[in-house]
Amino acid sequence: MTTALALFLLAVLVPVFFGRLGAAPFWMAVQGGALAWTQVSHGGGSEHAWVAAGETLFLRVIVAPYLLGTTLAAGGRERELLPSNLIAWMAAVGVTALAFQLGAPVLAAKDAMTLGVIAATVAVAFLLLATNTSAPGQLFALLCMENAIALFESLLPHSWPLPVHAALSVVYLLSVGVASWLIRRDLPSAEIVGTNGEGRS
Amino acid sequence: MSTIAAPRSSTGSTGHGWEALALVASAVILLGLSLVAFVRVPLAQMPLYFADDYFVLDATSMLFLLMVNSVFLGISVYIASRVQASAALAASFAPRALLTVAFMVAMNASILSNHLVVLWCLIELTTLCAAPLVAHGHVRRPAKVAWHYMLYSSMSLALTFLGIMCLTRSSPAAGGLEFFIDRMGSSLGPQTGWQQLGLALILFGLGSKLGLAPLYSWLPETYEAAPTSTSALLAAVQFNISVLAVLRVLQIFRGLDLGFVRHELLVMGCLTLCVAAVQIMASKNYKRLIAYACVSSAGVIAIGLSVGPAAAKGVLLYVVSAAFVKALLFLTAGRLRAVYGTNEAAALSGAIRVLPFSGLLFLVGTFALLGFPPFGTFMAEMLILSGIVQSGNLVAFTLMCVTLTVIFVATGRSLFPMLWGASKQPIQPVRERWVTAIPKLGFVTALVALGLYTPASITALLDVIAASVGTR
Repeated sequence: MTTALALFLLAVLVPVFFGRLGAAPFWMAVQGGALAWTQVSHGGGSEHAWVAAGETLFLRVIVAPYLLGTTLAAGGRERELLPSNLIAWMAAVGVTALAFQLGAPVLAAKDAMTLGVIAATVAVAFLLLATNTSAPGQLFALLCMENAIALFESLLPHSWPLPVHAALSVVYLLSVGVASWLIRRDLPSAEIVGTNGEGRS
Repeated sequence: MSTIAAPRSSTGSTGHGWEALALVASAVILLGLSLVAFVRVPLAQMPLYFADDYFVLDATSMLFLLMVNSVFLGISVYIASRVQASAALAASFAPRALLTVAFMVAMNASILSNHLVVLWCLIELTTLCAAPLVAHGHVRRPAKVAWHYMLYSSMSLALTFLGIMCLTRSSPAAGGLEFFIDRMGSSLGPQTGWQQLGLALILFGLGSKLGLAPLYSWLPETYEAAPTSTSALLAAVQFNISVLAVLRVLQIFRGLDLGFVRHELLVMGCLTLCVAAVQIMASKNYKRLIAYACVSSAGVIAIGLSVGPAAAKGVLLYVVSAAFVKALLFLTAGRLRAVYGTNEAAALSGAIRVLPFSGLLFLVGTFALLGFPPFGTFMAEMLILSGIVQSGNLVAFTLMCVTLTVIFVATGRSLFPMLWGASKQPIQPVRERWVTAIPKLGFVTALVALGLYTPASITALLDVIAASVGTR
């Protein structure tokens, strides 16, 4: 596993097991940074790779964490992302381990690892969605899923063509913008705090 | 007995003339372009590729372009006619009109898309345009509903993405997989378990976007909460992009043994029909009832597609007819809500005496929804049932007949007293504007035409598409 991939995986798992919602923008930025690093490595330092990495740094390291942070400003920063109980932790460990079985037998070692990280991210995001009733927590899970989709590009022998890249970026930017606007627009603080893990923070 | 002092035909602010005109003009342009393409490009010359093969004009995209743009013209005329009468609409008309046009541009682009990932992005883009429209709804917390709608949509599409990952995983030369829809089938390796899992996940994700059980709960919640013109857009326009995506996937995998896909569609379709039948029986809210009717139509489409070529033409006719029915019912429901200020069916008892024209149109829409002749839905349901019988799946035939009968009775039990019953609140008959009625009359005309006589050119389109989605 490359350092960039390991960093991406850490930025997905650490906040889930140990982090609170308030730290989510930081981990989101780390995920974005690791993604940009992977893009440069995968593209062999080509011009396309640097452009893609620059766009990733702008969108996923600056814009998305900022919007997530403004959403959290309304409240709920102290909530846990995943309820801290043994069942939830076991489920998270289980889906992560299972995800790494996805690519192991057939793909080359590097690709198998990448596919494993993507699958683990998507699986953990689904787990967060299943256990989280607070809208900002759900938004964090959604953004993790979007980052996994972006990481998928590094499995391909060639990067996405420019129109596909542009389409994915526009969707990401609009997703985080619209979601942040919707959550801040009408949901009162009580809703943002959510109902999971009552009394733990 | 409570009384309503005056119908809620509140006067909105004026000054939206050019914005309303721009909305209708954009709909006319989109439909005009579709009609020009339909007339100028013979079926034999299709497919036509453009923009580096990222977009294609083929029989499938042609049919869906004509359908969604016709419906959009009707909806835009309705919205434009309502802006002077509705204060709520007038207050936010400009951004809503802009989002509606953006939604339609994304819809047209997704219909023309020839790349699986671009199609995926464009479907998500339509959701992102629609979510703020849903947030203008009439419920207590519309933004929450809009967020749920967006979340469910993203989850459904993430499942589809997982399916794409499994397809990539199934190919030993990972990444050798072609994502252009017309070439993807030939780039797939030999059929493996991963490939089947990928296809199953893609269809499950798209089915959830379509409102198929088990992930269907976002649909009634969203359709009920959204403003009625937005509900009409979602039900009659966005619903169909999910149908088109399913058709595209079936076209990609044409020629392969898709027995498990047929079973998946059959199970999801039957489950959906059962859920819809139960929920329609329990529904006391006419807008939610129409929403569950949309869920049931997704079930009929899934069952129809599960039997393969035998019912494919019926499915396509059903998709086109259902688009007009849903638009007609939601727009008429919008008129009823504007006068009564509620979605509760019981409160509207005797509505046909207060709103004779809208009441009559709602009645016609209900008959079309229930599959009565001479509407296109009748012909389509007959073709689908006939296809199911031909395929020998008598369990599916029986289940579909039973659930459709239950839906028929339950819908009639709720809606007919709403129209004909004794009035609970004394309201003077409301004068209705002819401009508001024109699009609905257009939808009724299209429905009758589809049931009585389908032009040869449209029949040819249906035949070509039906042949392209045939599964073994």
